[in-house]
Amino acid sequence: MILQSERNDSFLEGFEHLDKTIALQSTGWLREFRLKNLSRFNEAGFPTLKDEEWKYLNLEPIISRHYHLTVSTPFTETAALKTYLNPAETNVVFVNGIFSENLSNVRDLPKGVVITTLTEAMTSHRADIENLLKKYPVAQANVFTTLNLALTGNGIFIKLTDKAINKKNIHIVHVTSVKEQNIISAPRSVILIGDSAEASVMETHISFSDDAVYFTNALTDILIAQNGILNYHKAQSESLKAFHIGTTRVWQEKDSNFNGFSFMVGGSITRNNLDVILNGEGASTRLNGLYCTNGTQLVDNHSAVDHREPNGTSNQLYKGILNGASRAVFNGKIFVKPIAQKTNSYQLNKNLLLGKEARVDTKPQLEIGADDVKCTHGATIGQLNEDEVFYLQSRCIAKSDAVKMLSKGFVDDIIDTITDESIHAKLNKLLEPTFAAL
Amino acid sequence: MSKANEKMLNEKTIQKNTLSSREYKYGFFTDIEMERIPKGLNEDVLRLIVEKKGEPEWMLNWRLKAYRHWKTMQEPHWPNFEYGPIDYQGLSYYNAPKKRTDNLKSMNEVDPELVKTFEKLGIPLSEQKRLSGVAVDAVFDSVSVGTTHQAELAKVGVIFCSMTEAIKEHSELVKKYLGSVVPYTDNFFAALNAAVFSDGSFCYIPKGVKCPLELSTYFRINAAESGQFERTLIVAEDSSYVSYLEGCTAPMRDENQLHAAVVELITLDNAEIKYSTVQNWYSGDKQGKGGIYNFVTKRGKCLGKNSKISWTQVEAGSAITWKYPSVILQGDNSVGKFYSVALTNNRMQADTGTKMIHIGKNTKSTIISKGISADESNNNYRGLVKILPSADGARNYSQCDSMLIGNKCRANTFPYIEVKNSTAVMEHEASTSKINAEQLFYLRSRGLDMEGSVSLIINGFCKDVFKELPMEFAVEAVRLLEMKLEGSVG
Repeated sequence: MILQSERNDSFLEGFEHLDKTIALQSTGWLREFRLKNLSRFNEAGFPTLKDEEWKYLNLEPIISRHYHLTVSTPFTETAALKTYLNPAETNVVFVNGIFSENLSNVRDLPKGVVITTLTEAMTSHRADIENLLKKYPVAQANVFTTLNLALTGNGIFIKLTDKAINKKNIHIVHVTSVKEQNIISAPRSVILIGDSAEASVMETHISFSDDAVYFTNALTDILIAQNGILNYHKAQSESLKAFHIGTTRVWQEKDSNFNGFSFMVGGSITRNNLDVILNGEGASTRLNGLYCTNGTQLVDNHSAVDHREPNGTSNQLYKGILNGASRAVFNGKIFVKPIAQKTNSYQLNKNLLLGKEARVDTKPQLEIGADDVKCTHGATIGQLNEDEVFYLQSRCIAKSDAVKMLSKGFVDDIIDTITDESIHAKLNKLLEPTFAAL
Repeated sequence: MSKANEKMLNEKTIQKNTLSSREYKYGFFTDIEMERIPKGLNEDVLRLIVEKKGEPEWMLNWRLKAYRHWKTMQEPHWPNFEYGPIDYQGLSYYNAPKKRTDNLKSMNEVDPELVKTFEKLGIPLSEQKRLSGVAVDAVFDSVSVGTTHQAELAKVGVIFCSMTEAIKEHSELVKKYLGSVVPYTDNFFAALNAAVFSDGSFCYIPKGVKCPLELSTYFRINAAESGQFERTLIVAEDSSYVSYLEGCTAPMRDENQLHAAVVELITLDNAEIKYSTVQNWYSGDKQGKGGIYNFVTKRGKCLGKNSKISWTQVEAGSAITWKYPSVILQGDNSVGKFYSVALTNNRMQADTGTKMIHIGKNTKSTIISKGISADESNNNYRGLVKILPSADGARNYSQCDSMLIGNKCRANTFPYIEVKNSTAVMEHEASTSKINAEQLFYLRSRGLDMEGSVSLIINGFCKDVFKELPMEFAVEAVRLLEMKLEGSVG
C-alpha cells in the first residue's frame, strides 16, 4: 500500500498542486466532483500485474515517468492535420487537450444537434451531465477513469435531441503536438443520443511525430436513448513512443443500436476499454476492432458487454495483425443477467502472427446467468496459410507482396464493414505504415 | 420403429420411472472399528502418521518441509464460488480400519466388512468375483485396504500397489518421482497434501510394456470429521502404455468434508497414460447442506519425446469441485488431451478445467469440455493454454460448451490463452445455450417422454467425452448423468 502511494506521488510530481488548479478551474458541484475523484485517485494506487484486469499489461513504463499538465501552445502541424481532415464533415479539434476554435468547423448544425465544449455544457446542460454521471458508481470506475474525471476541465459535449438526425459525420480529433514532451492529456467526450435520434461520430487520437512521449488518458461517455442509433469509430494513431489508456462507456436503452469500431495502430502501450451496458429490452450492439502492431508495441483491448434486459444482441469481432516483437492482449467479457432471457451474444478474436517474437494473450470470457440464451465465443491465433502464399508466388507475385495481399484480405474483412466512405478512407490511410512495414 | 426397439424403449421408460425417486445411492455409512488419531494438525501429527505407516526418515523430512511451507501459505480464494471457512485443526488426519494387517497375502484376508462395503459400491475385491480385466486398489478413508491382481501384473513387471507399500518396497522410484510434477510448493492444498497424505496408489509400467489390465483406484470416504488426502503417482517408462481409472463416493452427511488429493503422472519417450475419473462424491442435499469439497491437484508431465497423456473426467458429485487436470508438454511431439463432462445440480459449484503448458517442439493439445448446469448450481470452466517461446509448431484446439437447464443456474467460461511463439496455431471456441427446443420437440413427437428425450440430447452433447472412457465407465457415466438430472427438467 505504501509503495503504491509513493508511486502515485512520483507520477503526479509534475502537477502536485492539482487540487489548487482544480479549485481555480471549476466551481460548484463540478469542483467537488473533481476533487472527490482526485482524492480517490490518490488513495487507490495503480493496479499491478496481480490485478486480474491488468494481468497482461505492465504499467511500469507509464507510471514511472513524470508528466506535466497540458498548456496552450502554438500548433505548427496544420498542414499535416489538414490532409487528414475532411472539410465536408463537422470537425472538432483538440490540440494537446485544449479545444482549438480555428481548426474546428462547428457550424451549420441541423436542428436538434448541440456541439459545445464540456465547460459550457456544465452550465447549459447540467442536468444531462449529472444524469450521466449518476449512472456509474464512482467507486467502481478504474483508476484511470478516476484520474480523467479529476483532470477534465475540458472536453466536448454532443447532444442530439429526440428524433434529431445528423447524417454528417462528427469527427473529434485529439492531436498531440511534438513541441512538448511528457505531457498528460485527459480528453473527455460526452455523446448523448436522444429518442429515435441518429448520429455518426468518429474520434481520432493522433500525433504527427513518432518521437513524442506523452500520455493520453481518454474517457468517452455515450448514452443512447430508446430507438437511438449511434455509429461510433475510435481511431488511435498516437506517436509510437506515447501511451494511450482509453475508456469508452456506452449505456443503451430499449431498442437502441450501437455500432462501434475500435481501431488501434499507434502508441507504445495502449489500453482500450469498451464497456457496454444494454439496459433496455431489445438493444443491440456491434463492437468491431482492429489492431495492427509492430516493433515492441503493446495493444490491450478489453471489452465488456453487460446484458441486463431480455432480447438483447451483441456481436463482437476483433482482429489483429502482429509484426515484430509486438504484443496484443484481448479480454472480452460477456455478462448475461438472469433476467436477460433470449439474449444472443457472439464474440470472436482472430490474431495473425507475422512477427517472429510476437505474442498474444487472449481471454474471451462468458458469465451467463440466464438459460434461454445463445452465446458463443471463439479465439484463433495463427499464421498466413502457406499454401495461399505459395499459390500467389506461383503466379509470379513476390513473397513480400503475397504477404501484403493476404494480410490486406485479413484486414478488409473487418474494415469493409464500415459503410461511411470518408471513415473508411481515413482508416485505410492510417493503415498505410503498417502495410509498408510488412 | 421395429417391435423389438419399441419394447426396449418402453422397458427403459419403466425402469427410469422407478428410478426417478432415487437419491444418492452411495450415501450409506459402514460402521466399522476404526483407528483414528486425534483431531488437529501439527508436526507431531506428521510424526504419528509416519510412525503408523512405518515410513523412512526421508519421508518424514519431506513431510515436515511441506508442512512448514504450508504454514507460510494462505488459503486461496480466487475461484468463482463461495464456501465457508475450513477448520484445519478440526479434522482427523488419519483414519484406518483397525483389523487391517500389513502385507496381506491375499485379498481373502481383508476384513469381510470392508469387502462387503466395496461390493455394495459395485467393486468386488474377492478373487472369485473380481472384475475381469480391471485391477483395483481400494482406498478406504486414509489407507489402501487391498489391491487386486498384483501377482498377474508382476508377471509383466508392472508395479501396482498402495503408496505406503511403494515407499517401503520401491523407495528409489518413489524418491525419484514423488513431487517432481506437483512439488509441495505448488499450491496451498498440494502443500497440505504433501504434509499429511496417508495413502494412495503407485503404479510403474516398465519399458515397452502395454499394461494387460486396466488399473483402477476406488476412493471411499467413510469416517466423519476427517479429510481424505491421498496421493497417486503413475510412471510410464519408454514405450509403455497404461489406462487408469478412478472412482469416488462418500456417505451423506450434513458437514462438509475436505478431499485434497494430488495426482502425478509421468510419461517417458513414446509412453502413454490414459487417466479416467468418474467422480461421484456426495454433493450435499437440495439446500446445499453437506457434501465433499473436492480440491484436487492433478498434473501430468510428458517428459519424453512422442509421449502422450490424456485426462478424461466425468464430474458429477461434490458440493464443490475445484480442479484443473493439467499436462506439461515438455518432450518434443508430445500430446496432451483433456476431455471433461462437469454436471452440477441443486446448489453444487464447480470451477474446473485444464492447463496445457507447451514447452517442447510440435507439441499438441486438445481440450473438449462440456458443462451442464441445472437447478441453482454454478458451473465454471477455467482453462489455460500457454505456449512458451521454445514450443515451435505447437498446436491447440479447445472447445468448451455449456448447457443450462433452468433459469437459476449459472455457466461461466474463463479461458486464458497465452501464446509466446509465433509459429503456434491455436483455436478456441465456446458456446452456451439451453437444450434445443426443436430437438426436444422432435424426440417427443416420436414418442419419447420428456426425461428420455433430455437424456438422449445430453448424451449426444457429451458424446465426444464419453467415447474416450473405457466401456464399463462410459455406461456408468451415462447412468450417473441420467440419475442426476432426474426431476431437473420439465
